[in-house]
This record gives sequence, structure tokens and C-alpha cells, in this order.
Amino acid sequence: MTKLTRRSLLAGTAAGTAAAAAGVLPTNAAQPVVGKQAPGFYRYKVGSFEVTVVTDGVNRMKLPDDMVANATRDEVNAALLAAHMEKDVFVGPYNPIVVNTGAKLVQIDTGTGEAAFKSSNGMNGQLMSNLAVAGLDPAAFDAVIISHFHGDHVNGLLKADGSLAFPNAEVLVPANELKYWMDDGEMSRAPKGRQEGLFKNNRRVFSGEVMKRVRTYEWDKEVIGGVTAVGTPGHSFAHTSHVLSSGNAKVFVQADVTHVPFLFARNPGWHAFYDQIPAQAEQTRRKIYDMLVAEKMPVQGFHYPFPAHAYVEKRGNGYQEIAVPWNPAI
Amino acid sequence: MTTLSRRTMLLGAAGAAVLAVDTVPARAAAPANGKQAPSIYRYKIGSLECTSVSDGARTFPMPDGFVRNVPKEQALAAAEAAYMPKGMITVPFNPQLINTGSKLVLIDCGIGPGVGPTVGLLMAHLAAAGVDAKSVDMVIMSHLHPDHTNGIKAADGSLAFPNAEIKVPAPDWAFWMSDENAAKAEGNKMMKDYFANVRRVYSDVPADRVTRYEWGQEVAPGITAIGASGHTPGHTAFAVTSGSSRMLIQSDVTNIPELFLRNPDWHVAFDVDPQQAQQTRHKFYDMAAAEKAMVVGFHFAFPALGYVEKDGAGYRLIPTAWNPAI
Repeated sequence: MTKLTRRSLLAGTAAGTAAAAAGVLPTNAAQPVVGKQAPGFYRYKVGSFEVTVVTDGVNRMKLPDDMVANATRDEVNAALLAAHMEKDVFVGPYNPIVVNTGAKLVQIDTGTGEAAFKSSNGMNGQLMSNLAVAGLDPAAFDAVIISHFHGDHVNGLLKADGSLAFPNAEVLVPANELKYWMDDGEMSRAPKGRQEGLFKNNRRVFSGEVMKRVRTYEWDKEVIGGVTAVGTPGHSFAHTSHVLSSGNAKVFVQADVTHVPFLFARNPGWHAFYDQIPAQAEQTRRKIYDMLVAEKMPVQGFHYPFPAHAYVEKRGNGYQEIAVPWNPAI
Repeated sequence: MTTLSRRTMLLGAAGAAVLAVDTVPARAAAPANGKQAPSIYRYKIGSLECTSVSDGARTFPMPDGFVRNVPKEQALAAAEAAYMPKGMITVPFNPQLINTGSKLVLIDCGIGPGVGPTVGLLMAHLAAAGVDAKSVDMVIMSHLHPDHTNGIKAADGSLAFPNAEIKVPAPDWAFWMSDENAAKAEGNKMMKDYFANVRRVYSDVPADRVTRYEWGQEVAPGITAIGASGHTPGHTAFAVTSGSSRMLIQSDVTNIPELFLRNPDWHVAFDVDPQQAQQTRHKFYDMAAAEKAMVVGFHFAFPALGYVEKDGAGYRLIPTAWNPAI
């Protein structure tokens, strides 16, 4: 028999007897594994604003052949391997944020929706549960600001039962984005498949109680105090980013100017199949990223790995994100 | 007057009172939360469940001589290029908890309580991770510097992990416990303080609680000690292996990567033998880069996981993407 450890001696007669009787090694019971990630939220300050990044989780899927319209599967796989990611697997995180300006509590984008939590086996649709662990009550929100009308940004407006996720919040949407997706002519001209599906989804989400709370906003104007809308079209018809500004501090909340940075910041000329107007999206991407580099302005990227807050530098033919270091004690 | 919003209408009488004092009649905003998320992050190495547990971070004005062998301006420029506040450096501290399935093992244990508001957070973070200090079976020290070993003691001087075996690298223990070495360090304040600290911390730890381990040994199931001398004589890195997965815990092969991974020939003030530390650094990172092994660095930004690549004359760190659904 293996020698008794101090621990087994301390375990006393009960454990000793049971273990001895069963003829097993009388060490203390091993600690069970947790098997769950730590709560996915992270706070930082922008001037006097408190930002809470609240992850909605991640989508992990087999790399689609048409992931990048103008790059081959081999090229995309090479980029994944260069980023120390798994070949043939696409991992796309979702990171909505909460901004407390002192005057308003706002959610910017809402994730894939609570219903997705079940359908994805908890991989995404995590916003509601992560808001709860972050101590944020959805009923306390004054507004939800939407960047654009893709399902991973708007579906979280609704709970799994179809009721409002943020019952007291105004829903602030880019005016031209709403107009585009609600236009029957545009819908009739939409290509079958993804784009057609987006129209249907948007008309499902933007109806009833949600629609009653919708107010539109314009580019280059403050959506609420300290949050300015910046037109960054291409990814969708009127895709919009937001600049948070308080005191001397600014953050560029880019939404989907790039999708995952390890593919699309590194290769700004690549056209993700998610981009509605690819050439315009690329032009926007280069313009915005050159601005971020020049101004050393940190970016908050919806599809960046959590906590999705980074500086951007030029590197080679593209850009490299440098994560803002995690601050364990704000 | 500003237009009344739907929300202010809902406020009723209280809102009306606000109007009376002529302020903007918005309802009271939700207060800022002001508290960070518990800095814990779980990841798997084969069947092992690992948790990066932050002990906190310190931001302070870069002291003279922080980098011994380059002018201070050069070190400050490197810090600023890494977006640190002007004139300052930030040093994070990240012990690792590993559940091997049979043992709950902590590698390094932070600076301990009472040092400052932004450090000594290990115990609070372990609690947030659902870990009872009493259930930790083993604390393995990479080396005997205060930010790695002082957390073995609770605020009242008792053992912070009352049931844990404490494992220390034999060569480090021999170095710091040698009276002859301590006497030689009398003229060097930093070294003198380090000697005094180790002796103070371990003076009342029962001898049978402390086990000395050797390099090359499997110190816990799946965890092998790798000699990485230089930072201290017995400084140790670890290879953690399960199934076909392997990661390297570098401990202090570099201090903060923003300076010393980018510039592996720079000597941080804390290295006992800077030349040897530099050699170790190159050897270790050439191995890590060749293996494409995930590296955990005690002084990397939380969660302190990444991959090391050669980059020009130095190396760079590619942080691992946070996995929200393990």
C-alpha cells in the first residue's frame, strides 16, 4: 500500500474506514472540476463613464468555404494558424457593452438573444446571464443603442419568450439602417439566402413592443450625451460605430468595421461574407483603422476576443491589435 | 427647458420635486458599479482544469535602474510604446491553479495580504472561483521572491492554505537559506531585503510542511519542474502535460513582456544573475516558439496566457483568445 499522506491522516476515521474498506487509496476526495468559464464581464473607465463589456459568448463553427469572398480556404487557414487558432474552425466572439454615463445606462448591441443560449448549448446568448452576474438589471437600462441590423446585434432585444429584454429602454437605431431594412422594395430586390433571411429577421424583431420604443438617430450627432454616431457603412447599408467621449478619454466602439481581428484587421482587404457591400466595407475599414492608429485611440470591437478592448497598430500590410491590459482592480 | 422624456414622466412626484430645484429632470441614473469582475479565467490542458487567478497588478513610476543595462529613457520609451501611462510601468501578478483530477495545485501564491489595495487579491479571487483554501493540496513555488511566495501566509501569520504541502525548488531554498550567501548580500539592499523576507516568511512554517523538489521531477501529476536559473539561482519553470496537450509556465523567465520579451537582452533589476537569466530567456523562448506551446507568464497581463513568436531581435506575445464557453 502507498504510504499514508498527512491529508489522509487528517481525514479521520470516517474517510479512513470507508477508504480502507473499499480498498482504495485513502487520499482526500479530489476537488471536482468546475467546467464553466468565469463570469464574462469586464469593467473599465472612459473619463467618468463606466464601461462594462458583457460577453454574449462565442460562435464556433466549421470554417465555411466562402468565409472570405476574395481569399482561398488555404489562405484563411494559414491566417488562423498564424494566430495560433485551430485550422478549419472559425471562432467568432460576441461582445456587447454597457455604458453608464452617469446620466444614462445604455446597452450597445444585444448579442444573439436569450433564445440562442439554449439552441447553442450555452455557447452564446449569454448576455442576460452575464448582465446578472455583473449586477446590471435589464429593467434599469434607459436605452439600447443598435449599431446595425444583423441578428447577433439585434436579436438580444427580445427574451426567449419574445418579451422585451430591456423593458424600460428606448431602442435607438441608425435612421438609414431602419429605413433600409423596413423598405419593401429593398426586400424584394434582396438576394435569396442570407440577405433575405436578415430582412425577415429584422421584421420579426422590429415589430410590436420593440417598434413602440424605437427612436432613430443620425450620423455625426450625439445619440445620447457623450456617445456620438459615426457612419461606417459597408458591412451593412448604414452600419454605425460610436465614439464614447468623456473628459480627455475616447473609445471607438467599432461594431463590425472588422469582424474577428485575427483575420480582418490583419487582412483589411479581405471581404467577409458578412459584408453587404464589400468594397465600401473595405474602404471604411482602412479609413477607420488608419485613424485609430494615428490617434492612438483604443477600439472596442464587437467580434474581438473578450474583453475586446485594444489599441491598433500598423503591421505589414494590415493592422495588429494590442489588447489593453486587464486591470484587476479598477 | 429640456423636453420631458417618457422616463421622467414616470417619475411622478419625486420627479416634480427635482423640477423645483431647476435641474435637468432626468430620473436618477443607475449608480456606477465601480467593481471589477473577479479576475479568474479557466482553461483546459488535456483533462486538467487550470485557472488563472490574478493576485492583482501594480502601476508605479518606473524606478531608476529598473532596466539595468539600458538608459532609463529607452526603458520609458518602450513602456510608453506599450501604452503604459507616461513615466509608469504596470506589473501584473498571476498565480495558476491546476486541478489535476487528483490534486488541487497552486503554482505561486502572490504577495499576500496588507501590501496595497491593488495586490494581494489571490484569496478573494480564489473564493470567487469557488475554491476553499483548505482544499488546496499543494502550493508549488517557482522561486522565493516575495510576490510569488509571501501569500503562503494569511494576515494573522497562519498558513493561508492550511492543508497544503509547500513545495520549493531545492536550489532556491539552498541559496536563500544559506547564511554565507546572506552575509555576502549585506551591502546590497535589494538582496538583503529578499534574504530577510524569505527567512521571515518561513521562520515559523513547520519544517515537515515544506518539501524541496529537484528540476526534472514531476512535482505533481502532469507538472514537471524545468530549471530556469538566472532570475534566482533556483528559479523554476514548469511543463504541464495531459494527453497530447502541453503548456509552459514560465514564471519569471521575463518580467513584463512589454519590455523584456520584446528586448530579451534587457536585464530587469530583480535578476540575481542577469547574464544567466538572459541565456535562459533565449533558450526558453526558442523552445516555446519552436514547440508553438502556450506559455503562461506570471507577469503577463491577466489572464496571462499566450504564444511566443520570434520578432526581429526579440520576441512578441500573441495573447490567447478568451474562451467564453469552455
